[in-house]
Order: sequence, then C-alpha cells, then structure tokens
Amino acid sequence: MNMLLKKEIRLSSMLLTWLFIGFAFMTLLPGYPILCGVFFITLGIYQSFQNAREANDIVYSVLMPVAKRDVVRGKFQFVSLIELLGFALMALLTVLRMTLFQNAAVYRQNALMNANPFFLGMALLLFGMFNVIFVGGFFKTAYKIGKPFVIYIVAAFLTIGAAETLHHVPGLEALNAFGFDHLVFQLSLLLLGALLFIGMTVYACRQACADFEKIDL
Amino acid sequence: MDIVEVSGLCKTYPAFQLKEVSFSLERGQITGFIGRNGAGKSTTIKSMLNLVHPDRGNISFFGMPLKENEAEIKQRIGYSTGTVSWYPRKTIREILAVTREFYSRWDDSACRECMAMFSLDERKKPMELSEGMKVKFNLLLALSHRAEVLILDEPTSGLDPFSRDELLELFRQLKKRGVTILFSTHITSDLERCADKIVYIRQGMIRSACSKAEFMQHSGKPDESLEEIFLRLEREARA
Repeated sequence: MNMLLKKEIRLSSMLLTWLFIGFAFMTLLPGYPILCGVFFITLGIYQSFQNAREANDIVYSVLMPVAKRDVVRGKFQFVSLIELLGFALMALLTVLRMTLFQNAAVYRQNALMNANPFFLGMALLLFGMFNVIFVGGFFKTAYKIGKPFVIYIVAAFLTIGAAETLHHVPGLEALNAFGFDHLVFQLSLLLLGALLFIGMTVYACRQACADFEKIDL
Repeated sequence: MDIVEVSGLCKTYPAFQLKEVSFSLERGQITGFIGRNGAGKSTTIKSMLNLVHPDRGNISFFGMPLKENEAEIKQRIGYSTGTVSWYPRKTIREILAVTREFYSRWDDSACRECMAMFSLDERKKPMELSEGMKVKFNLLLALSHRAEVLILDEPTSGLDPFSRDELLELFRQLKKRGVTILFSTHITSDLERCADKIVYIRQGMIRSACSKAEFMQHSGKPDESLEEIFLRLEREARA
C-alpha cells in the first residue's frame, strides 16, 4: 500500500465513511430504491473530504516528498477503495437475492428495480459519476466541495430515478430480470458499467491531476 | 556552492505581482528573508515548495529543477510555516507515525531530541496546542528527516524568548553540519544573531540579496541595527 493511501486511511478519512459502506445492505430492502445505497456510500466519502479540508490535508500532503499529481492519485485510490468495498458487499447481497431469495414475494411484488447484474452495473456507473463530478470537481479548487456535490446529487438522483423505473418501458422488461433470467444480457450490462466506471475514474483522475497542478494553495 | 536557485520568478494576482524574483542560497548558510507583510515573501516561499504555480521563472534545488524532481527534492528539504494546524483532532503521535513513513531518512532520535527540546507531548492534539507550540510542532516535522535545506516561514513568531534562543542555537548547530536555512521573519534581531545573508523584498521585487555585512554596509548608516535599516528603507520607499 502506498504512503498516500495509508495517509488517507489513517489521517484524512472519517469513521463515518467506513460505516456508510454498510449502506450497501440497502440492497436487501424490499420496495425501496436500492440504488440509493450507492448515494449514501458516496455521501460517506464526501464526509471525509469535508474533514480533510478542515484539517489542511491537501497542503500537508503536497508538502510531503511526493509529486503534486500523486496527491490526486492518493485521493482517487482512497475513493475507489471505499467504492469497491461497497460494491463488493452489494454484489454479495445481489447474489443472495438472485439465488436464495429469487422467489421471495417481497422482492417479486416490487415496482422498483430488482437486485441483479444490471443493478450492479448502474451502481458502478453512479460511482464513476461521483468520481468525475465530485472528486474531479473538487480538484478544480482543492477546497470547494459544496458545488460539485450538489451537481452530483442532481445527476445521481436523475440517474437513480431512471434506472429504478426503466424496466416499465415496453421492450426493456429484461432489465428487471430475476434469478438467472437473461443472464448474458444482464452480465453485458454489468460489464458495460464496469468499463464506464474504469473509464470515468481514469479520465477524472487525469483531468484532476492537470487541474490541481495549476492551482495555488 | 549554490544549493538553491530561484531565477526570474513571476506571479500575478489581481492585487499583487511578484516581479522577476531571483536569489540563491549557499550550502551551510543561514539566509534571512525580510520584507513587510504582503511584500511577496510567502508567495516566493510557496512557489519554492510548488504550493503556488508561478507564471514564469525557474526554481532548482541541488542542481535539479523542482518541477521534474519534486518528490526527490522534497525528501531533502524541510518546511515549516507559522501556526498552521495539520489534522487538529489527531494526536501528534498519530501524525508523526504517518509522516515518518514518507521519508527515507527519517531520524527517530532527532525527532525525540526535538520533542524534548520543544517540550512537546505526543499524546496532545494540535488543537490543544498554544500558537507557540504549534510553531514548534511544525518545526519538529521539518527537523526530523535530516533535511539539507530548511525553508522556514516565520519560525520564531509566537515563541517565548527562551524557546527562540534555543531555536537560534539549533540553527547555528545545523549550519555547522552544512544545513542551508532560509527563514522569513519580522524579528530582525534574530537575523542579527545568526544570519549570513539577507534577501530583502519590497512590493514583489528583490531589492537586495547579499551577505549581511554587505547589506548593513550598503544600506545602513554607522551604528544602525538591521531593524533600523529595514524601517528606514521602507519609510524612504513610501515617501
């Protein structure tokens, strides 16, 4: 583990960020927009950014023997770590819903999204959006966290609203597959979500490195 | 031998301009960086640490450009700025435990010596420290990895006379070991006691960068102290 990631974990992160990974358990909530769990995980990450800003974390990090761009990479590593821990938990619970609980009435009689690979792909897309809009937006100034987070909230809830209801559009019923129905289609969507997450995160990190290099602390 | 070189540094803010700042630091010398508030000392120092992105100019340490060798250079330099608190709710022990891992030449014994000299309690949190103790904690971070160059922004402000005296003595010992020190201060009597060279900045421009003896000889009148010279130069510039 590199020094900056260790620093993020031991000095910058808040306990709340780690606890909020537990919102992945919203995957099991019946009759609830389960993608909101992703939003709460990112809200936990936001708390660490807020804490880091108050603790002069960015200036401390830049003063350490690392290149300025490495400070950005350290933040992205930490954010991705939290996101992937949350995703791993959601994936585990999704497998539970696809197997043990696939015929449970509380999940079958649900107007909203079912937990399936499409749901996981959408979760990764939302994490990617957070990385581009919020984390990338933060590094334009290295102190403004409110504006990029509000923009992310709007974008995230529009996406959640669309994803939760899209399967009601005629022809898109397969998005709400139960068990192992439409598995190839579902896994393709998960793969697409994963590719989008990687692409958005890499893009956001590169852009943030370039932005951060230009700003004065 | 010049160990630090700043040349042609320019930075424009809406209400302030740093104009063609150039000076150099020699190995094993203590250089005082003087100027009024807002003269450009902190902008220059921050540029030397890549905290501020200059519009133009070059900065090099140990013959290496800062831009291309940032991490390697920062292993060999130490920086301390006044009373800024890092991680106010973490203990000093926790902050030191993380900081030491960044430096390949971290010296635990030097760290312990400084802790004892500054009477710092590692169980305390920065938020529990007085302003003077915060200065000492920042100095501790700068002095514990055997830095070859120390860049100190007002290191003696807020310190009691006894601590200031101890710190100046420490600077003299570090100088004997070949450590190069640049420190900005308003307490010019500190510079009279230990500086070899004076860099004087006014309104974003370097007005003088020479040995302390030359500065006193060229800018001063007989029997004038450094503070009196500084005050007179500022008044003359204003008139």
